[in-house]
Amino acid sequence: MSSMRLAGGLVIDPAGPADGVRDLCVQDGRIVALDPRAPVDETIDASGCVVMAGGIDLHTHIGGGKVNLARLLMPESHRGDAQCGGCVPGTLDTGHRYAQMGYTAAFEPAMVASNARHAHMEMGDTPILDHGAYVMLGNDEFFLQLLAEGGAAGGNFEAIRDYMGWTLRATRAMGVKVVNPAGISAFKFNQRKLDVDERHVHWQVTPRQVVHTLARALRELGVPHPLHIHGSNLGVAGNIASTLETIRALEGLPAHLTHVQFHAYGTDGPRKFSSAALELAEAVNSNPAISIDVGQIIFGQTVTASGDTMRQHAQAGFGSPRKWVGADLECEAGCGVVPFRYREQSYVNALQWVIGLELFLLVRDPWRVVLTTDHPNGGPFTSYPHLIRLLMDRAFREEQLARLHPEVAANCALRSITRELSLHEVAIMTRAAPARLLGLPDRGHLGVGAAADIAVYRAQADREAMFQVPEYVFKDGTLVARGGRVVATPVGGTHFVEPDYDRGIEKRLRAHLAAHGSVNFDHIAIGHDELCRCCNGGRLLPAACFTDGRAAP
Amino acid sequence: MSDPLLATEDGAVRWTSPFCLLLCDTLAVRADASGRALELAAGECAGARRALARFGAVPSTATPLVDGRPAAPEQAIEAAAAILAASRQPLFGGLGTDVAGARALYRLAEGTGAICDAAQGDALMHTLRPLQDRGGYGTTLAEVRNRADLVVCVDGLPAGEAAEWLARCGVGEGASGPDAPHLVLLGGTPGDQVALATLAARGALTTEYVALQGDLFDTVALLGARVAGRTVPAAAPAIDALAGRLRAARYAVLVGQSARLPAHGALVVEAVHRVVGTLNASTRAAAMWLGGGNGAGTVNAVFTWLSGLPLRSRAGPAGREHDPACLGTARLLADDAVDSLLWVSSFDPDCAPPATTVPLVVLGHPELAASAQREGSVFVPVSTPGIGSAGHLFRADGGAVLPLVPVYRDTLPELATVLDALAGCVQALRAKAAP
Repeated sequence: MSSMRLAGGLVIDPAGPADGVRDLCVQDGRIVALDPRAPVDETIDASGCVVMAGGIDLHTHIGGGKVNLARLLMPESHRGDAQCGGCVPGTLDTGHRYAQMGYTAAFEPAMVASNARHAHMEMGDTPILDHGAYVMLGNDEFFLQLLAEGGAAGGNFEAIRDYMGWTLRATRAMGVKVVNPAGISAFKFNQRKLDVDERHVHWQVTPRQVVHTLARALRELGVPHPLHIHGSNLGVAGNIASTLETIRALEGLPAHLTHVQFHAYGTDGPRKFSSAALELAEAVNSNPAISIDVGQIIFGQTVTASGDTMRQHAQAGFGSPRKWVGADLECEAGCGVVPFRYREQSYVNALQWVIGLELFLLVRDPWRVVLTTDHPNGGPFTSYPHLIRLLMDRAFREEQLARLHPEVAANCALRSITRELSLHEVAIMTRAAPARLLGLPDRGHLGVGAAADIAVYRAQADREAMFQVPEYVFKDGTLVARGGRVVATPVGGTHFVEPDYDRGIEKRLRAHLAAHGSVNFDHIAIGHDELCRCCNGGRLLPAACFTDGRAAP
Repeated sequence: MSDPLLATEDGAVRWTSPFCLLLCDTLAVRADASGRALELAAGECAGARRALARFGAVPSTATPLVDGRPAAPEQAIEAAAAILAASRQPLFGGLGTDVAGARALYRLAEGTGAICDAAQGDALMHTLRPLQDRGGYGTTLAEVRNRADLVVCVDGLPAGEAAEWLARCGVGEGASGPDAPHLVLLGGTPGDQVALATLAARGALTTEYVALQGDLFDTVALLGARVAGRTVPAAAPAIDALAGRLRAARYAVLVGQSARLPAHGALVVEAVHRVVGTLNASTRAAAMWLGGGNGAGTVNAVFTWLSGLPLRSRAGPAGREHDPACLGTARLLADDAVDSLLWVSSFDPDCAPPATTVPLVVLGHPELAASAQREGSVFVPVSTPGIGSAGHLFRADGGAVLPLVPVYRDTLPELATVLDALAGCVQALRAKAAP
């Protein structure tokens, strides 16, 4: 039983009433309303500080097979920088460095079902942060077969929905992600590209069918986070067409389009590579059921880790250093890891940088934009303070822009965008919106009853410096970082969903796996106690599903 | 004495083998007719069959040793802690354990600055170093089972700890015909050729033996050149034909066993990866290296995610150091570069520590008591995951992690429990020694 008062800070809480200077009280790990005269165990002077809920990263590759492959591929990223551990740090560094920046939760977006235990183990070994993962569907042969055999009329929809429900529960996932819909499987059949209406060479289904079916099934299961979509044609000039078609394929169903910077390229100009940020922003602005995260690129060395073998294979030649690792996984997924060095003087990289910022600034509703670099694909998460400054400080942005490839610097639309994000908007994009999009009612805000995940930043004109090192960071009321120093390392909790589904599907799945799989069906699902062991004894945090079959309000 | 858990309806425990690289998981285990040892009751896995014979049907009553003499568990922990606390550069070797044991090993290694290397560290490095230098393209059991139309076994058929590989991939087990893969044995021993002939006689698949052209290194280099369409000085029709088959295959899989590779096997792995890379420009192919048995692959994965770097690393004064060439067990011991050895082998009673005169701590299978009989040694028997305790291991193809179920409730402690007690004791000794 402990209590604390954070006194006199500027509380920025977009989900709550108006922002303003006020005291914030914490008791036993929760935000509480205390009488101003009530005694507390500790009072912390927060005057001159900005108080926000702990940051939530809803798309960051922090755990599982491909992340560990990236670590194996990049031992040199540890050399000469003992402090940082490179662009793919170990889990211990990951937890510490997120917490040092005021983040208290992170979600792994690309969990392979057969690798789920591994992903949970890594996340469990990421201290301080709460965590969860989206399991990948849409390239697994069982799903594709059901979809193909069901025909255009969606004859197998119920079976697909139940299979999705089973997968979510068996793997203890928080949501479902589709990566290059049907394209990862198509690559196994030696198909090298797959547009939204192109047919998978073997199963004869299209990405449009895959996306629509998955989004609908997820909605019917009542999972709060809508389908997380890494669309077709990642990184391809002109892919704005397939991105817009993917949005149309949803037919109004809710969805989250991830790392859209990599999916917003046109073919204008002499180099046939241009920004399509405006077109995408307009599509997002006019489709209220769509949310995005950006996947901003940051100049410097990083490594890209993706499930999208088709695209990673195609782009491996651009990698630096020139090496890459890929794999086909268990007839359900793939992974490709390619190191990249983003350079300011590269026309393509400079334009990617511009496109990301344009997207942040052109989408009007901050509740539908989440701040990410798609760590580590666009850049390491440790660059978030720098990214925040780029968004809040136009002069700084112009200064950076002037260093880019001259053609990009001279011609981009970003030059004429005057918008500077407010602290309120930054708080939405980094905590309130992700919490809402994930269906976490007690996270991402500072209302009474919320978990006391709190970041206290010293107000500074230099927003990068301000967001780099908070004065205080609390996780469930426990002080975990003070002035950039980690002072406690509690084990984080695991968020997951437990949707209801018709268990009849298990018989069909058992037969399918006996004929095609490599693991005994009885050993696939992760039990409650086992999840606890995998996650290092952290708390289990099941999220509620909507029972009326509707998505989040 | 704990109750054994062998109380199922048919007296057999549904079981996953921790003893093979593929974690065969449709097996069952029971006590044998003598009631003294364990045996397979259902399913087949040669690795499991061999290993089970080394475990009693009831929990072991082995006790710890200090200087070769029986000791209470607390005394043994204290003696082991004294060795580590006095050591300026410990080496943790063997590393035969599961995920929970690896997590605890890492904690202790961080606290003591130990260098960590697995018993089959050289074999592990055969596949790790090419990955670090150039990458590669891999695949998994289910992909091979459903997709491969050509399987090339490099330098021998999978055997020993991977004896079930062909069966697990459905090679030679399913219906013959257009869907059955063509199986090529490239090099290997006369024994491999006999095994290949046996497979061929079953009639479920077509097979082919391709002899090495020179040594293995020459052969894979030649194959790489021919797959890429380059001309070579001397004609090699068999290799040409194999290159043609690879180019014509829809999904070719090249498989090898890393422990069977010769010294500098990394060069073979790299050459095979080059073949795969060339093929993937126009068709589909992948490699699979079977290795990392006895927990080595699992410990390597855990250390990699915790620290960012794989085995043959240490937390040094200048930060974390990783050196696959210099931080190997044999070299460190030969150079007197370490002054204590902590050896872990929970699965394999034959995996004894190398001969050394430095103070020695052995944590493992009860039979390893024989390896810690001298002055300056400590032995603590620990539970084997999948026999006396639950656990988790990585399958050799990297993707799947499977839960291990115990056959009985052990009397021996889990490795993590021993290591955490040891870490606490080392810390206390250090605190006492500090001014």
